[in-house]
Amino acid sequence: MFMQTLVTGVAVGGVYALMAVGYSLIFSILNFSNFAYGSIIMLASYVGYFSLTSYGMPFPLAVVVTMLGAAALSLLNERISYSSLRKRNAPSLYFMISAMGTSIFLENMVYATIGASFKAYPPLFTQATVKLGSSTIGKLDLFAIIFSFTAIFILNYYINHTRTGIAIRAASYDSTIAQINGVNLTYVIGLVFILAGLLAGLSGVFLGLKYMAYPTMGWITNKAYVSAVIGGLGSLPGAVVGGLILGVLESLVSVYISSTIRDVFSFSFLICILLFMPSGLFGKYLEEKV
Amino acid sequence: MAKADGVHLSVDGINVFYGNIHALSDVSLKVDEGQIVSMVGANGAGKSTLLMTLAGVLKAKSGSVTFDGAPLPDAPHRVLAAGVCLVPERRRLYANLTVRENLMMGAHLRKNKAEINEDLERMMDLFPIIRERVKQYAGTLSGGEQQMVAIARGLMGRPKLLLMDEPSLGLAPLIIQQVFETVAGLKRQGITILLAEQNAFQSLEISDYAYVLETGHIALEGTGQELLADERVREAYLGVRQKAID
Repeated sequence: MFMQTLVTGVAVGGVYALMAVGYSLIFSILNFSNFAYGSIIMLASYVGYFSLTSYGMPFPLAVVVTMLGAAALSLLNERISYSSLRKRNAPSLYFMISAMGTSIFLENMVYATIGASFKAYPPLFTQATVKLGSSTIGKLDLFAIIFSFTAIFILNYYINHTRTGIAIRAASYDSTIAQINGVNLTYVIGLVFILAGLLAGLSGVFLGLKYMAYPTMGWITNKAYVSAVIGGLGSLPGAVVGGLILGVLESLVSVYISSTIRDVFSFSFLICILLFMPSGLFGKYLEEKV
Repeated sequence: MAKADGVHLSVDGINVFYGNIHALSDVSLKVDEGQIVSMVGANGAGKSTLLMTLAGVLKAKSGSVTFDGAPLPDAPHRVLAAGVCLVPERRRLYANLTVRENLMMGAHLRKNKAEINEDLERMMDLFPIIRERVKQYAGTLSGGEQQMVAIARGLMGRPKLLLMDEPSLGLAPLIIQQVFETVAGLKRQGITILLAEQNAFQSLEISDYAYVLETGHIALEGTGQELLADERVREAYLGVRQKAID
């Protein structure tokens, strides 16, 4: 039982980590919380749903289509909601308000067009299990773990070892100097939204498989936000660790205490972390203050 | 590559505003190829404003800037492609990147990996301290070390013209001496330099030509030696206003 709970926790944590990394990427370069990110994930979940049902795509193809669709939506989100604010050097409060507006708009668009009903994904591997020692583990959890961590691993490699990845990190520290070094900021910011969109697509599919697709599912990204803050906003390793800690602790609380206090626990945990470590576990650029 | 008249950078009557503040008024200057030209003046005279405008970070309301016979682009990421690189005031290294990554950022626009690695070696020969620190985060370096990395980062873009904003700021006297020697050395390698400095005497000593900037306009100009001999320069250097000098 414990093993099973742990695996479920890691799976949920992996999806939180995906979303938290996407959030953190955008935060680190534009310095504001993109509240529209949850709506992008929600739309991605619908893209995944329709790819599987209406278009009958095989699962791997549906994942790819969803990731690409979410990347396009995320890029559009930046170009429509933020790029004009960015060019006018608007304060980050304006960005947040624009993000909230975008989020409300997208949710209501879904209500008005697709409707409020919950869309259940086809039962691909929701029932399938694998035996691991004495415990049975859901195939969905296993897939979620593999996909999330592979994606995060690839992203991490890209950010740390490629020319463009270094430019993203440089621009997130000092965008003016990065431009002086020849970085086209519009291009790099677009790229960051595309990367965040790809992660949104992946997490959208797994959230849909686990909890179905519905217009207000974007609230789940609150958990990603909590994960990112626990880990330290703007820090990618922090976002991953924060997501994992939150996912595992939530699963343990649901199973061993009560699933009804799960969210109470999550937010209390956040408050405790912030009380004692105001910049999270891996607060931004803490390493070079040593 | 030298133009017939030898003029490399030509700034003609530029005006820059911060909101209502007229930060630069009708500033014109010329930098010839292979020279060190310095701008001296007190804090707030507009030296950084001018360099930031040339780098494309600030926009001029009027006036023109030509470099190598063509208008200098006004988008910062295109200025470097045109061959002009700013080494900013207070170094502004990427503290979250290693020294090596900082240097690689300087070469961001270049494609040839072998040449980039060659230049990386050259930088480590030029500034031996960089070799020891290459894997460290730039934020862990001392001010003097950071200045060397900042200059090296600028050079990694192989600029024809290097704009240097207060390279001696906040450094110990011994290190300042080293910085000025480095700047003079860059000239010998054929790099043209436009230098903004509060440290007037030391920068005039190594300059071919110099301008004195006061509250947003050019008060005096002449060769480095002429200005060093000029009585008014000492006053300008002390930040005395133009009216008091007249």
